[in-house]
Amino acid sequence: MATLTATAAPTRSAALRKKRHPRDIVGWVAVHAVALAMGIGFALPIVFVVLTAFMSDQQALTSDLWPRSWHPENFLEVFDKAPMLEFFGNSLLYSVLATAGMLLSSIPAAYALARLRFRGSNFIFMLVIAAMMLPPQVVAVPIYSMWANLHLTGTLWPLVVPYFLGDAFSIFLLRQFFVTVPQDYFDAARMDGCNEFQMLYRVLVPMTKPGLAAAGLFTFLYTWNDYFGPLLYVGEKQDSWTLSLALASFRGMHQVQWNLTMAATVLVLVPVIVLFLFAQKSFVKGITFTGVKG
Amino acid sequence: MRTPRRAALSRAATCSVGALVLLLSACTAGGGGSNGAQEAPSADQKVTLTVYSNFADRELGILNKVLDGFHTAHPNITINSQGSQDDDKITQSIRGGNPPDVAISFSTDNIGQFCSSGAWQDLKPYIDRDKVDLTQIPQAVQDYTQFKGTRCALPMLADDYGLYYNKDLFAAKGITAPPKTMSELLEDTKKLTEFNADGSIKVAGFIPQFGFYANHPQVWAPQFGAKWLDNNGKSDLATDPAWTEMFNFQKQLVDFYGWDKLQKFTAGLGQEYSPDHAFNKGQVAMMYDGEYRTAFLKSDAPNVNYDTAPSPVADDKSNLYGGGYVTGTIIGIPKGVKNAGAAWELIKYLSFDTNALVQLANGLGNVPTTKAALHSSDLKLPAQFNTFLKVFDNPNLANNPASPNGGAYLKTVEDLGSSWQSGTVKDLHAAFAQADKTIDDAKALGGN
Amino acid sequence: MTATLLGSADAAAASAPSRGRARRRSRHLKWVLLFLAPWAAGMVLFFVYPLLATVYFSFTNYDGLNTADFVGLRNYVFMFTSDPLVKAAAYNTLWLVVILTIGRLLFAMGVAQILTKVRNGSGFLRALCYLPSLAPPVAATLTFVFLFNPGTGPVNTILGWLGINGPLWFNDPNLSKPSLTLLTLWGSGELMIIILAAMLDVPADLYEAAQIDGAGPWMRFRKITLPSIAPVLLFGVVNSIIFALQYFTQAVVAGSVASGSADAVGNSKLIGFPDNSTLTFPVWMYNEGFRSYHMGYASAMAVLLFIVSFAFTAILIRQLRAGKAEAS
Repeated sequence: MATLTATAAPTRSAALRKKRHPRDIVGWVAVHAVALAMGIGFALPIVFVVLTAFMSDQQALTSDLWPRSWHPENFLEVFDKAPMLEFFGNSLLYSVLATAGMLLSSIPAAYALARLRFRGSNFIFMLVIAAMMLPPQVVAVPIYSMWANLHLTGTLWPLVVPYFLGDAFSIFLLRQFFVTVPQDYFDAARMDGCNEFQMLYRVLVPMTKPGLAAAGLFTFLYTWNDYFGPLLYVGEKQDSWTLSLALASFRGMHQVQWNLTMAATVLVLVPVIVLFLFAQKSFVKGITFTGVKG
Repeated sequence: MRTPRRAALSRAATCSVGALVLLLSACTAGGGGSNGAQEAPSADQKVTLTVYSNFADRELGILNKVLDGFHTAHPNITINSQGSQDDDKITQSIRGGNPPDVAISFSTDNIGQFCSSGAWQDLKPYIDRDKVDLTQIPQAVQDYTQFKGTRCALPMLADDYGLYYNKDLFAAKGITAPPKTMSELLEDTKKLTEFNADGSIKVAGFIPQFGFYANHPQVWAPQFGAKWLDNNGKSDLATDPAWTEMFNFQKQLVDFYGWDKLQKFTAGLGQEYSPDHAFNKGQVAMMYDGEYRTAFLKSDAPNVNYDTAPSPVADDKSNLYGGGYVTGTIIGIPKGVKNAGAAWELIKYLSFDTNALVQLANGLGNVPTTKAALHSSDLKLPAQFNTFLKVFDNPNLANNPASPNGGAYLKTVEDLGSSWQSGTVKDLHAAFAQADKTIDDAKALGGN
Repeated sequence: MTATLLGSADAAAASAPSRGRARRRSRHLKWVLLFLAPWAAGMVLFFVYPLLATVYFSFTNYDGLNTADFVGLRNYVFMFTSDPLVKAAAYNTLWLVVILTIGRLLFAMGVAQILTKVRNGSGFLRALCYLPSLAPPVAATLTFVFLFNPGTGPVNTILGWLGINGPLWFNDPNLSKPSLTLLTLWGSGELMIIILAAMLDVPADLYEAAQIDGAGPWMRFRKITLPSIAPVLLFGVVNSIIFALQYFTQAVVAGSVASGSADAVGNSKLIGFPDNSTLTFPVWMYNEGFRSYHMGYASAMAVLLFIVSFAFTAILIRQLRAGKAEAS
């Protein structure tokens, strides 16, 4: 189990570390030089974006890389150009409701698949995987027509409701966590007269908090980053736009320079980075659980 | 025990089948059934009309001012005007059953779908009832607001195209008059173009790149007298020699620069509607553009010394000179609206009220669509605008035909133009024939 | 640590005393039904019904406003014989499937391999490599179109310092997809972490033993690392293929922003800019269904997309089944 904060491969290096040959030092320098270049490569795009966000209108038209003068007011101007706070609110509403709905509907389903033995459970699990792998565009036309007939397009409902009816990826991920809980705990709980529901929230939920956190984070992030869903369902009504949707049309709609576009980009990125900094362990734990062994 | 359970099961099954059928068949969203004209609301009946348009910022403000004028005349009708609503959003809102009462579309591309699918209501009952005289509108404009006899839209201002040229750059090269023929355009382009020391373009005389700024085949076509359809309504690219002439001339211009150089140059230029547009910055000396550019130049680059003229025409078609391409903003009543009667009153006001049209034309810098407004003494527009009023009055004013699949055929031709200018297409005639087939096949897709 | 897909639940259940099993099964059936009820409803509403409806619509002329009229195979005939753009779109998506899958896998493996060797500051470095994958695709795409914009973008500026005349990137039909590939590699952090975890799972003594036997780094990678992480790689391959098959947001946003068009999804004539090189299969499907009133035709495309993606999903499911058979 790797986390981002843990040092790498201590077991492997322990033996070699004791006595360092000159060759090891050369190797160390080489590896770290490559790694440093790699890190810079990954970080550089964001650095340029932030630098451009601080440039003046005029300078943003040039090929300068470093701001001649700093214009933090660009970030305020973004809010003048578009109702970013409203978009932020919509994104938050979408993500929070979807995450809550996912947890409510998917935890029991994942529990049933992970811990309850019943006929057809394998088939259901295969169905979950098939649904997880389905490109969303395949079923877009009928689902869109369905919501249109209910006159609910232009609202966040079509985006949020499906999460209250089980999310395939989350069920899959949660199941991966749930199967790791030793059976003894459940047996003990059953001795105490717990029914399945009580076992679910007395035993399983407290024991798999990191898993629940990971599944929640992924759903939150997926919905926060979603573009296709909002484009389809709330594109028609600007009052319901999410941040991603607004960002995509920001430059075209407001005829602005790169500096403001990049400032808006930074504003969309910041919540994600903050979320990551607070929860990086859960992220990494979740990801490694999706990388399944056959 | 078995029987009731089975009964319940089969009942559940019927329910789900019923629901399925319901979901599939309930696709006739909202209202419908608008065969007759709906009465305008009586003066004491309070109504709110929602209006969608693709205007934003300053332009939305101008529209709203004119809408206020309507509210003053009809105090019982309040208007909720929403900007930044393009055709996709209008279509989505109609499909979703939450349409605006009045839809304003910036493009005539989708008129075929609007009229044939019933997304926009047929206005004929209203026009007949109120005995509206459509001859106040030029024929080309009447054409682009209807499809196959269904009039589901009316015009609200038009855009026509002409040649913009930078007088200072002209003077520097000793050019005294704007080009009137394509050979003159080529000659002037060569004179006006300047290259940097490394061979890259510094100033372009005229940018011929299809897809860039207003260089779309439909804008070029009237200058060559190129026709889109033959008498049977089939696509006509391969058989009408004007298309071949137009593409060959375009390639001649492209080759003068070299495709790579041209592409590199245009990729670095400012966006079409941004203040750093190449014409504003003196990076291009001549261009085709719509009349609306005068308003942009006035606000973004008041120091550019420019003038306008009708676009040049093919050497052997000098009789076409003075006309040009026209398109425009269209306005209609979507399917399923609640206040169609009131919506019609607003449409009549925005399409035919001389004061409203003049006010809009002055504010937006667009061409007013009725003859009365066109000749109104209240029009206060820059001197360069006169070209566009004259082009609009010229019998050679031309539009592109409405199609049941919208602007798809324009994309087909523009795509062909892209491959042509980059040199990918070698056999132009074969490519035109292929495009003809594509266009005709695609039209069949939406039919019954 | 990597979890096994199947088997654990069965193993857990099997370890329970077998005589209680029958009684327990009947007792918890109502719980199973209760727990799976929301999922089942969602499955019917958002998976089974729409799949069937998509197949039905694919045989109709349907504009989303009027009732769907049955037109037989007309949409399929148009798709396979007439529509030149669906060919361009299929080619673009196929290109992305091949290049993105290979690129992502090699890149993620390379980065993960380096990360296993880093001893100082590895936590920070991993965070740095992973973070871009969390960026909203719209924001990441805007970032790259800006970085690579031919006139004043930082990439061409830096290339200019080196005396290289930078290309047009997103504005060049030959380079727009490679540019999208770079964008995708930048955001492939999840795959890196999955592979890194699998690499760190390989017992260290295997490497030490191989080293004693005189195996070089390449030999050790091929004989030990690769077989150990193979199952994870298979998951990565299938995952990347499905990801590439539904490639939409980045293509749409890159095309629209690079073209300088003023519309949210790109002007209908500029969609796929430049020269339809970013017109992926889902983008064309969206355009036909939701902008051009051809929902029937879009459904026919959806059926094709479903068949292709399901074929790859089936490979994964078969692998899982095999894994299960091995476990029991």
